[in-house]
Amino acid sequence: MLKCTINGKEVEVKPGTSIIEAMMQSGDRIAHYCWHPGLSVAGVCRLCMVEVEGNPRVQIACNTAVTEGMKINNTSEKVKDAVKWGLDFHLINHPLDCPICDQAGECGLQDQYMEYGKYDPEMAEPKQKKHKVVDLGPTVVLDSERCILCSRCVRFTEEVSKTNELGIFNRGDRSEIGCVDGVKLDNKYSLNTVDICPVGALTSKDFRFRQRVWYLKDSESICTGCSTGCNVKVYFNKEGMFRVKPVYNEQVNGHWMCDEGRDIYKFVNKEHRLLKAKVRGSAGWTEMAPGAAAKAVSEALKTAGESAALVLTAQYTVEEFEALVATFVNEIKSKKIFFWINNKESFEAFDGLLLRGDKNPNTKGLLKVLEKHGINTQWSDLTAGISSGSIKTVVVAGPENMAVFPDFDAKVAELSKAANLVWLQAGKSAALESLTGNVTLIPVKTFVEKDGTFINHAGLEQKFKKATTVVSEALTLTEAALLMSGKNLVIPGANEFVATNTRADQVALEARKKNEFVFKRGSL
Amino acid sequence: MSVVQNNSQISKWYIPGILGGLGTTMKHLLTNLLNRKKMMTLNYPEEKYEYSPRFKGNHVLTVKKDGSLRCTACMLCATNCPAECITIKAAESDDPSVEKFPINYEIDMLRCVFCGYCEEACPVDAIRLGPEWQTPGVNGANFIYDINHLAYRPNLKGGIQTHVDDEERHKAGI
Repeated sequence: MLKCTINGKEVEVKPGTSIIEAMMQSGDRIAHYCWHPGLSVAGVCRLCMVEVEGNPRVQIACNTAVTEGMKINNTSEKVKDAVKWGLDFHLINHPLDCPICDQAGECGLQDQYMEYGKYDPEMAEPKQKKHKVVDLGPTVVLDSERCILCSRCVRFTEEVSKTNELGIFNRGDRSEIGCVDGVKLDNKYSLNTVDICPVGALTSKDFRFRQRVWYLKDSESICTGCSTGCNVKVYFNKEGMFRVKPVYNEQVNGHWMCDEGRDIYKFVNKEHRLLKAKVRGSAGWTEMAPGAAAKAVSEALKTAGESAALVLTAQYTVEEFEALVATFVNEIKSKKIFFWINNKESFEAFDGLLLRGDKNPNTKGLLKVLEKHGINTQWSDLTAGISSGSIKTVVVAGPENMAVFPDFDAKVAELSKAANLVWLQAGKSAALESLTGNVTLIPVKTFVEKDGTFINHAGLEQKFKKATTVVSEALTLTEAALLMSGKNLVIPGANEFVATNTRADQVALEARKKNEFVFKRGSL
Repeated sequence: MSVVQNNSQISKWYIPGILGGLGTTMKHLLTNLLNRKKMMTLNYPEEKYEYSPRFKGNHVLTVKKDGSLRCTACMLCATNCPAECITIKAAESDDPSVEKFPINYEIDMLRCVFCGYCEEACPVDAIRLGPEWQTPGVNGANFIYDINHLAYRPNLKGGIQTHVDDEERHKAGI
């Protein structure tokens, strides 16, 4: 371990650490654009200037390794002046279109300018005109004028996605980012370039112009797109969810996430959701409150015993599986619990970076719960049971993300042969609503609306917290299990306002008052 | 508030006070009858008061020379609005020189407090508070004004143009 002094503080770092990494470790703030912890060092933005004792000139922190006894300072006037002039050069050709730029509010340039800049520009020449609204591919739009040529996106396609679509073309102030001739920025990780772009040069087509970022709240969650279980941040407001961004987790996803995972916010929004329970009787569909519908189901299940079966998809939390399976085994006395596997052929597929073929977040969790209760069934038992009439009532915890269940309609048709079908699901589906016979559809909550645990492909348990509520009446499977076994929900309200009743991760009020968002911006 | 009671003998002589008050009333009656131009009141629906041109009344969205909206849908007005009465939906424009524009711009006039912060926040002089202030409505009247009303209502005669021209601004490098 090496000892160095950063702004008067003693810091111990591993040999080979660069100064900027040491500063991140010690929590000191430092201006930077081109350096990104997940990418190689480029040293092109010249903004991370520090003063090292014994060296007459300021030097860049990202490409200087810490040596024993180094005395580093980035708060001196000399450093501030260097950063200010660096910024002035960056902004020479940068257009003033913050009002229509999607990055405004989380922009590196805005942050650094407010912290280190605040000068009057001295450039009298007209700005260099470049290409605006360049279509780079199916997901990303480029605005060359806003680009400060930090080359983060180029390095990303070179080092992480290894697809090499992007490059810097032309020279001097005419330099531009662009796609190599005849190639589109079309890979499974392309939207990461939008995340790492410190300015608004690369914007996501999906999110473009939909919201200003300061209208969005964020909350950390786990991606439900596949069994990798990337740590993500979901962005939402009262109009719904708008986007998903990756959060650094060394064990799981590093800094990145795939483009597919960014679509997981779509099925959460209200327009795709089942808002009320629907019960189909002889007179067609009637709408009910979800809780009342689940309670009504308990009447049928009370005497069902072995004629009741449960079908589970691996899209719910461990706690929910545990509650539902325990209810079936202990209360209803049926061990006919089946695992609906969506795409068995590609289950083990892996693209080498993040994407996995198993498109469920919690397959391991479901298997663990099933194993705990000693359940070992085959899907063929269910089909045989339904056709022979030994299984009359089927309760299905349907998929949250229907897009990854290609066999959804076929399975609905297959299961609807049962005399009595109870379908718990978050999303609306035409296949379900066109069913005839005794069907009960009960809306359940999605991953952003509940606390829980997912176990990813490697067996890592990841807890996540509720972000927001989209459909307030919807039930979690735990609640549905309680109601379906004939019990009532207990409202944990008695001691709610007692001060000892705080969550383990409760944030102190002082930190809460500050906008979290503003405070994380320094680390781009 | 404290009430002071004056119980002296003089206070019982109330008749001079009453007469004095009646005198003031008579004076105003006579001046109003003889010199109607100096009258302080208006016969409201027929006569209307002329406010200063800087009066902050109903909003107007300004337009460009070709008649399209100046608004770039940056949502700074909606952000700045203390009454949260502005709703904007942005979209990508087909015109390559525009990029972002509002497909929906609504102001809920019943929530608006006419503070003028939207006007101050606007970077492109796209929204102004106009002099119009008499906009009554009967039950069921629509007080959520949309683009059609804000920019192109009949009394604006095809839209208000601003004196700041975009092309000139771009030439000057602003």
